[in-house]
Amino acid sequence: MSSVVPRFRSVARAIVSIAAAIGAATCAAGELPPASTRTVDYRRDVQPVLARNCYGCHGPQKQKGGLRLDRKAEALAGGGSGRAFEPGKSADSLLVQYVAGLDPDTVMPPKGDRLTPEQISLIRAWIDQGAAWPEESEAVATGPARAGSDHWAFQPVRRPGLPRLKDASRVRNPIDAFILANLDARGVEPSPEADRPTLIRRLALDLLGLPPTPAEVDAFVNDAEPGAYERLVERILGSPHYGERWGRHWLDLARYADSDGYEKDSPRPNAWRYRDWVIDALNRDLPFDEFTLQQLAGDLVPGADLGSRTGTGFHRNTLTNREGGVDQEEYRIRAVVDRVNTTGTVWLGLTVGCAQCHSHKYDPLSHKEYYGLFAFFNSEKEEDIPAPPLPFEIDAYRKAKETHDAEHARLVKAVEDHDKSVAGDKPDKDPVRVKLQKAVADHLKKAPAGPASKIPALAENAKPPKTHILIRGDFLRKGDEVEPATPAVLPLCSPEGKLTSRLDLARWLVDRGNPLTPRVTVNRVWHYLFGRGLVPTLDDFGTRGERPSHPELLDWLADEFIRLEWSQKALIRTIVTSSTYRQSSRARPDLADRDPTNIWLARQHRLRLEAEVLRDVNLAAGGLLSPVVGGPSVHPPQPSGISDLTYAGSARWVESTGADRHRRGLYTWFQRTSPYPMLMTFDAPDSNVCTVRRERSNTPIQALTLLNDSTFLECARGLGARVIAEAKGGTEDRVRRIVKLCLCREPSSEEAALLTRLHDKFAAQCRERPADAAKLLAGRKLAGTDDAEAAAWVAVARTVLNLDEFVTRE
Amino acid sequence: MDPIQDHIQQTRRHFLTSASSGVGLLALASMLRDDGLLAAEAGPSGLPGLPHFAPKAKSCICIYLEGAPSQVDLFDEKPRLRELHGQPLPESFTKNVRFAFLQKETARLLGSPRKFTPRGACGMELSDYLPHLGECADDIALIRSMHTEAFNHHPGQLMMNTGVPNFGRPSVGSWLNYGLGSASENLPGYVVLTAGRGTSGGASNWSSGFLPSNYQGVLFRNQGEPVLNLNNPDGLTGAMQEETIEALRDLNRVRRRTIGDPEINSRIAAYELAFRMQSAAPELIDLKGENRRTLDAYGVDRVDPSKGGRGGVGAGGGTGVFRQFAVNCLLARRMVERGVRFVNLFHASWDHHSDLDLELGFNCQMADQPVAALLRDLKQRGLLDTTLVIWASEFGRTPLGENRPGFKNVTGRDHHPFAFTLWMAGGGVKGGQVIGKTDELGWNVVEEPVHVNDFHATLLQLFGIDHKRLTYRFQGRDFRLTDVAGKVVDKLLA
Repeated sequence: MSSVVPRFRSVARAIVSIAAAIGAATCAAGELPPASTRTVDYRRDVQPVLARNCYGCHGPQKQKGGLRLDRKAEALAGGGSGRAFEPGKSADSLLVQYVAGLDPDTVMPPKGDRLTPEQISLIRAWIDQGAAWPEESEAVATGPARAGSDHWAFQPVRRPGLPRLKDASRVRNPIDAFILANLDARGVEPSPEADRPTLIRRLALDLLGLPPTPAEVDAFVNDAEPGAYERLVERILGSPHYGERWGRHWLDLARYADSDGYEKDSPRPNAWRYRDWVIDALNRDLPFDEFTLQQLAGDLVPGADLGSRTGTGFHRNTLTNREGGVDQEEYRIRAVVDRVNTTGTVWLGLTVGCAQCHSHKYDPLSHKEYYGLFAFFNSEKEEDIPAPPLPFEIDAYRKAKETHDAEHARLVKAVEDHDKSVAGDKPDKDPVRVKLQKAVADHLKKAPAGPASKIPALAENAKPPKTHILIRGDFLRKGDEVEPATPAVLPLCSPEGKLTSRLDLARWLVDRGNPLTPRVTVNRVWHYLFGRGLVPTLDDFGTRGERPSHPELLDWLADEFIRLEWSQKALIRTIVTSSTYRQSSRARPDLADRDPTNIWLARQHRLRLEAEVLRDVNLAAGGLLSPVVGGPSVHPPQPSGISDLTYAGSARWVESTGADRHRRGLYTWFQRTSPYPMLMTFDAPDSNVCTVRRERSNTPIQALTLLNDSTFLECARGLGARVIAEAKGGTEDRVRRIVKLCLCREPSSEEAALLTRLHDKFAAQCRERPADAAKLLAGRKLAGTDDAEAAAWVAVARTVLNLDEFVTRE
Repeated sequence: MDPIQDHIQQTRRHFLTSASSGVGLLALASMLRDDGLLAAEAGPSGLPGLPHFAPKAKSCICIYLEGAPSQVDLFDEKPRLRELHGQPLPESFTKNVRFAFLQKETARLLGSPRKFTPRGACGMELSDYLPHLGECADDIALIRSMHTEAFNHHPGQLMMNTGVPNFGRPSVGSWLNYGLGSASENLPGYVVLTAGRGTSGGASNWSSGFLPSNYQGVLFRNQGEPVLNLNNPDGLTGAMQEETIEALRDLNRVRRRTIGDPEINSRIAAYELAFRMQSAAPELIDLKGENRRTLDAYGVDRVDPSKGGRGGVGAGGGTGVFRQFAVNCLLARRMVERGVRFVNLFHASWDHHSDLDLELGFNCQMADQPVAALLRDLKQRGLLDTTLVIWASEFGRTPLGENRPGFKNVTGRDHHPFAFTLWMAGGGVKGGQVIGKTDELGWNVVEEPVHVNDFHATLLQLFGIDHKRLTYRFQGRDFRLTDVAGKVVDKLLA
C-alpha cells in the first residue's frame, strides 16, 4: 500500500485538511475509533466498505502496491508493505491505520471520501474477532440471514406512507401524491388533463396498440356521466387485443422469433404456440407470480399440463446453430448462458451476464455465483411435446385427406377400368396395368400425415450434466463443480435453506422476500405507459444503473402489485387512472432547462409508435386490418430480394393470401437472418437477445418506408376510399373525416385550409394526368366519384398517414 | 415558437418555394439549420469530443469475402508445405484443436500449386491468382498474422464485423457513424452492397445492434431501385411528392406550435433528407457519367467465364457476379466521393472445402481486377489518403487438406482461425509492408500476432478514435467495438 502513497501524498494531505476544515465525520489524526462491540459479518459489514473504497486500486483490475483486497488469500497475504491486517490485532493493522489516517501523509483512500468512524470501528471489530472471511461456497449456503449490501435495490420493499400535499385536489390515487409532492417541492405545477380525444387515443394505443374508431371517440367525448374515463379503461382492458399489445412487450424480453438464427436459420413452424400462450395468459390476467413459474418451470409446477408446459417455451427462444461442423456442446452452453442472462435481466434487473467470465466488477455477484444460477438451467433439455391439433390444423388435414382420397379413388378406378377393358390373362405382366398400379402405390406414399402438432418446450434432462465454473466463460475450461444456488446478496427465502430445481428458482424470484422482481416488473410497466422507467436503466438495478427518480413511488407500486396479487391488469388500471398518466403531453417551456427529459413528470411523454403498432394503425386507418387473434405466423408482402440475402436463400418468403396479408404486426413471421425490413427500420428488436427497451429512432429510411412501401400505399388507398365513401359533403367534409379517422379529432381551421389546398392541387394534377391517377388507384374504380378525385384522396391520405401526430402517441 | 419568428419563417419559405420549387425546399432546410430551428442535421451528427485526435481516414471501404479465402494460396507462400505435401501434420500442431469438418487423424498436408512472386518495390510475395492486385503492392499493408476465436462462419462473421462472435452488437460501420456522424447531406453514412448470393450472417453483418437503427447499414441495390422504397408509388409524380413533403412540413409545423415539441423538427428534417435521397441515390448508381476507360479498368462489362469453377452455374455465388462485383467497387468509390462514411461490399462463396483451385481461381478472376482498379482510381483522384480500403474475411483455411467423410478426393481446405491474412490500404496505413509471420506450414502465428480486436482498434485509430473511449451503455455495461481487448498495431500506421 505504501508504495502508492508518495504519488498521492499531496492529494491526501489536501483531502485531510479539507475534511478537517469542514468538520466532516472523519477521524482526528492520531487516534483510532474504538472497535465496535457487535458481532461483525464480513459480507454484510466489511466487504461493501472495501468494495466501495478500496477495490478501485486494490481489486480485480488494479493491485497497487501489490495488494489485492477482494480475494481472501491475497488479502491475507498482504502487499509490498507487508500484511495489511493481523487477525486479532486491529490497532496494529496497517489497513486500519491507513484508513484512519493516523499518519496524515499515509491516508487511504488517497482520493474520494474517507471512511467514517463507524465503518472503521466495524473493520476493527471484524479483525479483532478473527477476520472471518467466508469462502464463497459457505456464504451461498448460510441460509436466510445472508450477506447484504447497502445498495438501494437489494433492500426489502417497504410500503411508504403517502406524502402530505398543500393541495390534494389533483390526487386521484397515491401515484399522484408521490409525483405531486416532488413537483411541489420544486415549485412546479403539473400539466392539465389531456382532452378526451387525446386520452382515448392514448389509452387505446398504450393498452391495445390500436386506434379507437370514430364512433368510440364520439361515445367517449360525449359521455357526460361521471366515471366515463374509468368505464373506458375497463372496456379497453377487456379487449382481446390487450393480450396482443402487452404480449408483444413480453415477446421482446423472450427474444421470440420464428427461426433458429445463425447460418442455416431453419424455420420454427411451431414457435407461435408460445406466442399465443403469452397472449392468452395476459388476456386472462394470469397473475405474474404464476406466470413466472410457468415461464421458467411450467414442466415442474404441481399439476403441470400442456398449458403450463407451453409456458416453458420462453427459454426455447434461444438461438440454435445448425451450421455444418459446429460443436453442439458449445452452442448448448451458449443457450444456457442466454437463459441465465435473460432471467437475470427480466426478473432481477441485473446484468448477471457480466459474471460469466469473471466476478462482477460492480455488483455483488461472483463468478462462482453466476454458475450457481447456471446450474438451475443446465439440467434442462429441449423437447417438442406432442399436442392435440387445433381446429384449423384438423381442417387443413381433412381437406388434404379429402383431396388425397379422391385422387386415390380415381387411380384405383383407373386400374379397375383397365382390368375391365382388357380381358386377358396375367394382368400382372401387363405394362399398362403395372404403371397404373404403381401410380396407386406412389400416391399412397404421399398420404397426408395426421394432424399432429408439436409444442416447443423445456423439460428436465434425466441425466443432467454436472455444472462447473467455466474459466473466463470458456466452455472448454472447466473449473470447480458448483451446485444450484442464488446470489448471496439476495435473501434466500426458503425454509429448507436450499434451492435445487428450476421451480425453486422461479418461486424464489417471486417470493415476497425478493425485492427485485416486483420493483423491476412495475418499473417496466411504468416504462411502457410513460416511455421512461422510474429507474431508466430498466435492465440494470445494480450499482451501475441509475437510481430511481421517485424511489418511494417505485416501492409503493412494487408493494401494491403484490397486494393486487400480481395482477398486471390491476396494476395498469391503477397507473392509467392516475392524474399523472392523464396529463397533457404538451411541452413545458418553463421546464425546458430544469427538466428537459421530463423526469419529474409534470407532463406526459410524446412517443413515436413502435414498429408493429405503426403497421397496425395504418392498416386500421385504411380499413384493412384483420382482427384475428393468434395462429401461425404470417408472411405479409415484403420487398423482393430480402430473403435472398440469407444463406443460400434459405428463408423463402411465400406471401400470405387474403386477410393474412393484413394481420397485426406481431404476427409477421420473424426470420432472424432476414427480418421483415419495415419492422427493423422502426427499431423492432432483432430477437437474438432479450430486449427491455426499444430505441425510438427517426431516420429518412423510415420516411421512405411510410411514404412508399407497398403495404402503406395500400393503406393510403383504403383510407382514401373510406373518406370518399363515408363523407359525402365535399372537400371540407372529407378533410374533417380524414383528420377524425387518423387523429381522432377535428382539424383546426389552419389545418383544414392546408389540407384543402393540398387536395385541390392533387386533384388538379390528377385531372391533367389521368393515366397517372389510374396507376395511383391501381386500376380501382370508386363508385360516385371520378379517378382524379379518388386519386387525389389517396395522395392526401398518404400525406396524413405520414404526419408526425399520426405516428406519435401523445 | 414565437409568432413573429414564425411569420418571418413563413414569409421566407413562401419566397423561397415560389422562387423555384425544387431549390426552395433544399434552401429551406439549410436556412432552418442556420437558424438553429432544425434539431437534427441531415445525417446523424457525431459525438462531442470525437475524433479524439487528428484522423487520417475519413471513409472506409470494406471488401468482405465471405467464406474465408485461402491465405496459403493467395497471400502467405509456404514452400515447406509444398515439400511436405501428403504428409501428416505433427501431433503437436493439432492437439487440442477442433475442426469443423476435417478428420484430424487421417488428414494430410496440402501444398499450394500457386506460384508466388515478389511484387512492387517492396517485394511482397503474392499469388499468381492476384496479378492486378500485385501492381498495388506498394499501397498494401499485408497482415499475415491475423487470428480469431470463431471457426464457424456466422460467429466468425459477427466477430469480424462486430468484434464479438455473438449476435446483438453494432457493426464497425455503425460504430463509426455513431462516433463521427455522417458526412453526407444526401446519402446514408453506412451503405452495404452485395453481389451474388447472401452471406451466412445476412443482415446481422451490418446491424446496428443496440445502437439506434439510424446507424444500421442501408442496403443499396446495384440495379433497379437503389434503396428500398426510394421510388414514389406508380402514378405519384415528382411534383406531387414535392407537394407532399411541403404539406407535411407545414402541417407538422402547425403541430409543433400546438404541442411545442422541438423533436418535430427532426421529423421534418428526416422527410427532407428522404426527399433529397430520392434524387441523390439514383444519381449515385447511374454510371453514365463515368468514362469508358474507368468502366473498363473496373471491368464492369465483363461477363462470367462460362468454364469457371464447376462450370459457370453456381460458381461465384450466382450469375453475373463479375459485372456486379465490378460495379460495386466502382459504386464504392462514387459513395466515398459523396461523403459516405462506411461502404461494406459483400461477396459470398469463398468457402472452398473442395474444388479449391478452380473455385478460388474463378473468384479471384472476378475480384482481382476491380479491387486493384478501385485502389488505383482512389489514388489517382487523391482519395486514397483519406479512404481506408480493407480486404477481409472471417478466418483462413487449413494447411491440411480437407478429408471429411464422404469426400472422394482431397481438393479443399477446412476453416482455420489460428492464422490468416487480411490487408489494408490507404487511409493512413503504411503500404508496401508485411506484418507478422506464420510458421513454416502456415499453421500458427509466430511473429506479431494481430487479433480481430487489434485490427478493429487500429481501424478506429486511423479514424482518430481511441477504441477504449468509444463506448455505449447497454444493459448496464459500457460496450465497445473491441469488447475488452484490442491493441493498436502501430506498425500499420503511416
